[in-house]
Amino acid sequence: MSIRQLFTKKSSLLYSRLMDINSIKQRSLLAKNIRSWFEDHNYLEVSTPVLSTHLIPEPTIAHFSTRYISEFYQQRDLYLVPSPEVHMKHIIRETQSSIFQISQCFRNREQIGSHHNPEFTMLEYYTVGADEVDSIAITEQLMKETALEGTQEHLLPPFNTMSVSEAMYTYAQVDLEKTQSLHSLKQEAQRLGLSLPEQSESWEETFHRIFLQFVEPNLPQEKPLVLYDYPMQIECLAKQVPNKPYKKRWELYAGGIEVANCYDEQTDKEKVREFYTQQYAQLIHQRSNSDEVIPDIDLDFIEIFDEHFPQCSGVALGFDRLLMLQGGYNRVGDLMLFNVSDMIHPIR
Amino acid sequence: MIKAGQIEKGTALLFKGQPFICVEREFVNPGKGSAFVRVRLKSPSTGQVLRETFKTQDNVENITVEDRDCQYLYNDGENFHFMNNETFDQLEVPMASFEDYQYLIKEGETYRVTFWENQVLEIQIPTKVIFEVAEAEEAIKGDTVTGATKNVTTETGLVVRVPIFIKQGERILVNTETKEYLERINK
Repeated sequence: MSIRQLFTKKSSLLYSRLMDINSIKQRSLLAKNIRSWFEDHNYLEVSTPVLSTHLIPEPTIAHFSTRYISEFYQQRDLYLVPSPEVHMKHIIRETQSSIFQISQCFRNREQIGSHHNPEFTMLEYYTVGADEVDSIAITEQLMKETALEGTQEHLLPPFNTMSVSEAMYTYAQVDLEKTQSLHSLKQEAQRLGLSLPEQSESWEETFHRIFLQFVEPNLPQEKPLVLYDYPMQIECLAKQVPNKPYKKRWELYAGGIEVANCYDEQTDKEKVREFYTQQYAQLIHQRSNSDEVIPDIDLDFIEIFDEHFPQCSGVALGFDRLLMLQGGYNRVGDLMLFNVSDMIHPIR
Repeated sequence: MIKAGQIEKGTALLFKGQPFICVEREFVNPGKGSAFVRVRLKSPSTGQVLRETFKTQDNVENITVEDRDCQYLYNDGENFHFMNNETFDQLEVPMASFEDYQYLIKEGETYRVTFWENQVLEIQIPTKVIFEVAEAEEAIKGDTVTGATKNVTTETGLVVRVPIFIKQGERILVNTETKEYLERINK
């Protein structure tokens, strides 16, 4: 085929999916409502890079990498950010102010399903001086005052709350405080009839088997649900609940779907260092014999947690999922214009 | 063996010693956790549907199946009767295992039928099928609300919500997974 022929042949690609004009307008309106809400509440809107030189070690997230090429500089790998967290925390330390951002995030290996897409839009906001409990009220107010017209009642505040341990006990009869060892948790999984693989797995993996099979599908949906106090074995940059094996972290479920994640942010430099060391070791261990990206790690990030880093609580909210729920769509994919799924096909 | 992440709708598996067909699959990545896949597995012998969660890296036992063209003849209320187009053998498939299929398959039509060791695992129904409207309510006069809909019944007995301009005897394209109206077929 000649180049001329290539460009005269009509491509069916662009027309394969009908553009839903209404969803384009709803996306614009929801973003506008959210921006103006944060402006009214004295949050500074920030804009951080999508293309980054360093990331933080997160072994459960697969990354996209690309390469910078120039005649004047050394070549180097750059990464598409899986979340704006790192850069935003640098800004928090410098400005000491509450900030927010609506930005594109990228996660590789993300399957193109009804609630996932390798590229998605995140609303991330940090409130200085607040903890994770304050963030519940902030998020309730935000969702109440910015919701699109016609949003169903069960997706709107007030939120219900339930601890992860209560949910595990109610729906799987698993007592989290008595199953802190991997051995005891595995026994519970077997009691529930789950078949565990022969190869060893972590506490987090066995926990999620139980949680996803028995708990998550049964969570009450009459109102959005804040599920709080996550097991400390699920590593994250949230503070520890004093004297309990939990982290000060919550997830918001609306319509049965996970829409937001919140921490009382870890501000202790040594704890952050510990997280880095442990997570990076795991990442290297998992990826060294695979073609998975091992990103360069942002070591400066540890250094920002000095006496000037303020107490704060951050929320990462899936903007596309929120739009999907409020607009009454069934799939996140319905809202993605020029969706990669139109061009990527399953392996047969 | 395949990885659970490779399971797709229609994949045949041996799970706990029984054959199953995956009828629904969804990937779940819990916040800060490993990747999982949630599937609904249907037992072709009992019609029972299991909801299972696997890590995408778990091994699952897939089974080799064979597709054969079979013509749907009729049902007797308990079984679907098919004829193998190659051997002309007739076969019975319990209707209870394939709930709803009676409203989606048409007598005289040929379907790809999935077999595993002579057991029918699946009757493959195309995602988009043209049906004839056997019964339609008359649109209420003066009802000019845009997007107004009504129910019609197809020749197979499937009830579909359609725009009010659809009339009895017309043909419509339906998504057989969602049972939703897609468009009117003009002759």
